[in-house]
Amino acid sequence: MLTYLLRRLLLMIPTLLGITMVVFSVMAVSPGGVGAQSMVDSNMRPEQRKALTDYYNKRYGLDQPAPVQYLRWLNNISPIGFTQDDSGKYTDFSFTKGMNLGESFYYGRPVTEILGERIPITLLLNILTIPIIYIVAIAIGVKSATQRGTGFDVSSNMIMLALWSIPTMLLGVLLLGFFSSIQHWQWFPTAGISSRAAKDMTFMPHWGSLWDIGKLFLGMLVGTALAVWLSRWQERSLRAFLAGVFGLVAGVWMAQAHASFSLFAWIVLPILGAAILAGIGWMDYKPFRVIGLGCFGATLGILFALQFIHDGFVRGFLFDRIWHLVLPVLCLSLGASAALAKIIRSSLLENLNADYARTARAKGLDEKTVLWKHVFRNSLLPLITIIAGLLPSLLAGSLIVENIFSINGMGQLAIEAVKSRDRELVLSITWLSGFLTLIGYLIADFLYTLVDPRVTYD
Amino acid sequence: MTKQIVSQEALSHRLLRKTLHGSGVKFALFWIGSLIICAVFAPFLANSMPLVMSKAGSISFPVLTYLTTEDLAVLAAFFTILLLWLAPLKFSFKVNLALFVAVIAAVVVLASLFLKPPKLVIYDDFRTPSYTEVDWRIMPPIPYAPQDYLRSYGGTGLEAPLSAEAANQERLHLMGTEENGADVLSRMIHASRIALSIGLVATSISMVLGIIIGGLMGYFSGIVDMLGMRLVEIFEAIPTLFLLLTFVAFFGSSLYMMMVIIGVTSWSGYARYIRAEFLKLRRQDYVQAAVASGLPLHSILFRHMLPNGVAPLLVAASFGVASAILAEATLSFLGLGLVDDPSWGQMLNQSVTSASFNWWMAVFPGGAIFLTVFAYTLIGEAFRDAIDPNLSREAGVQ
Repeated sequence: MLTYLLRRLLLMIPTLLGITMVVFSVMAVSPGGVGAQSMVDSNMRPEQRKALTDYYNKRYGLDQPAPVQYLRWLNNISPIGFTQDDSGKYTDFSFTKGMNLGESFYYGRPVTEILGERIPITLLLNILTIPIIYIVAIAIGVKSATQRGTGFDVSSNMIMLALWSIPTMLLGVLLLGFFSSIQHWQWFPTAGISSRAAKDMTFMPHWGSLWDIGKLFLGMLVGTALAVWLSRWQERSLRAFLAGVFGLVAGVWMAQAHASFSLFAWIVLPILGAAILAGIGWMDYKPFRVIGLGCFGATLGILFALQFIHDGFVRGFLFDRIWHLVLPVLCLSLGASAALAKIIRSSLLENLNADYARTARAKGLDEKTVLWKHVFRNSLLPLITIIAGLLPSLLAGSLIVENIFSINGMGQLAIEAVKSRDRELVLSITWLSGFLTLIGYLIADFLYTLVDPRVTYD
Repeated sequence: MTKQIVSQEALSHRLLRKTLHGSGVKFALFWIGSLIICAVFAPFLANSMPLVMSKAGSISFPVLTYLTTEDLAVLAAFFTILLLWLAPLKFSFKVNLALFVAVIAAVVVLASLFLKPPKLVIYDDFRTPSYTEVDWRIMPPIPYAPQDYLRSYGGTGLEAPLSAEAANQERLHLMGTEENGADVLSRMIHASRIALSIGLVATSISMVLGIIIGGLMGYFSGIVDMLGMRLVEIFEAIPTLFLLLTFVAFFGSSLYMMMVIIGVTSWSGYARYIRAEFLKLRRQDYVQAAVASGLPLHSILFRHMLPNGVAPLLVAASFGVASAILAEATLSFLGLGLVDDPSWGQMLNQSVTSASFNWWMAVFPGGAIFLTVFAYTLIGEAFRDAIDPNLSREAGVQ
């Protein structure tokens, strides 16, 4: 195992070299090339401009031929290499000089420092998104595989395909435009991941009086309890009808909350609300019904209780953060969970018809045990492959989301770096994302051995 | 007693029939078909000048004098394909392709020699008496060109669909106007050209690259395979979007550059497919026979091996078109796309950058991107189900 690990790690080096080389040659070959143009103001007098360009060229070594620039950059980032003396000449060879990602031209700060600020933000987004993606995808994928060919399977397949095809930018723009603009519903903040006031707040929220908290909890509890009770009702059509009435009320309330009177909203929203909730109420599958209606009931209860709360409520840092992250996380998770649900479905289907599953059923095991103890475990392999690609792909996915919601994470940084032709930043981001991908592949290969003992690498 | 039914149907026919079976695919084909019509006839569907007008007894066609070489080439391509498809001539694929290329080349050469469309078009001229006071004229269905900013109406700016201001001036904007005052529907129709052409050309480029690299990898295996796989790994380890961004930011973004860039950044998936397929095929008897009879390499690779490994590639290509369209839209959305030509992503970007949220600038272009991507995904899905019946929705045998 250890030799395998060593070999894989060593094989990473040429790939990483290749990645940076591809990106560096794109930069070097392009018209204009890497240069200090972006920092130099075009309004300057020619001699001033020349002096400044020369200064930057000298400082960052931009006046040297491209291969030399690349080699110097490589020497800087590799933990062993040549060290420079004060005059900039390469003198000694050192094994302990450490990595140095260089200094960004555009920001004029060390790249490590900038990355240190940006990575936690993107990581936070992804850590919140990944569990949501997996839970939703597994629930839907397993259900549609076990009920293959039924109405649920066909309709969920259509919905998943549609969700998968919705461009992230369209979803983001619509969410931002409708739910955080003053023209429609100003429920969520427009930009960033925390408001300026949140820096002075306490971590947890606090209220004017204890009774207000009680009201909130009471509202939530009553709402959830009512909704769950409704969702467990045996009579199907009555259940769907009552849920539909609730949806109608919610739709009317939403139309009423709209910033301006709009006939369209008054017509469409109640119908939409009624249709969605009646659909959830009509569903055969109990967990979905309970969770769907329960979430709806809890939200409705809280909103209802909020009407009776006095002033003196301070959101606190935590709630402020959550409030800012609702829309971006929603936007990131919808498309990805749809794609994953389809993969889970097809991988389960292959195993549900396998001989060992039939044997297990023939032994007299109930369907639940067959599904979760036998079939699901064997269907995990493709899921693991997805995990490997998930980390870098979410990094790329959050590029659009971060741009729309003005979150200063890695995605925004990547766009800024590329637009300002910042050699050091572009190379560092490339290198980092390539490294993450390769590490992801490696982790996936090890997870294979854990899940499936037949896979060995010795 | 089971009766054995031997199907007389050719494989390609059966696949086609099964693919076209569902209603989802029919919807998808309908949408893409109408997009193609929009793209081909864009100058006749949405333009500021009259199609035909009769003035003092003489009939003129103002729209024809403003046709560009690209417009003509697109028209010629459309009609050549239509003719070759409908005409009862049974040429081989090669002859068809040669005819097609010859016709397009001839049209492009002739058009660039004889066609001299005016460089600068002042669209407001078409609303002056020399074009309006005529005996009779036929206007396009949408009488606004995509770059017609309606200045003669006095700076219209953003207007909601069917707004009262427009109605007062006897203008009709079914999808409103954008921030400079141009008609959104007209821009959408002209932008469908960009979406369709980028999807097709970028996917063809990446498929050709993928087939050549993957085919060589699979056929030779060994050291070629090792090196090739490293190359594939390199391209896969950089997130595609980031690679695209880098390419576009450094190379600029003309339409043709963008096609090439999207093609060059997305070939790795096809290479993987073809490599896996060719690794299986290269030990087959018929390939060995082809090698033994001394056929040249390109003949073995493309005539004998490729047709047997191409089916899964077509599924991937259908999804590839969808992702190429999405890539272009994303780049335009991030402000790195085409500058003067309207594109759906760029219009979506306008809805974010303007001070207020204007739903028609987000819903219509975004909806068009969504429907197009959805249509290609549906086609890909149906095709995959036709090839691999294990996973299809209908459990029984068809």
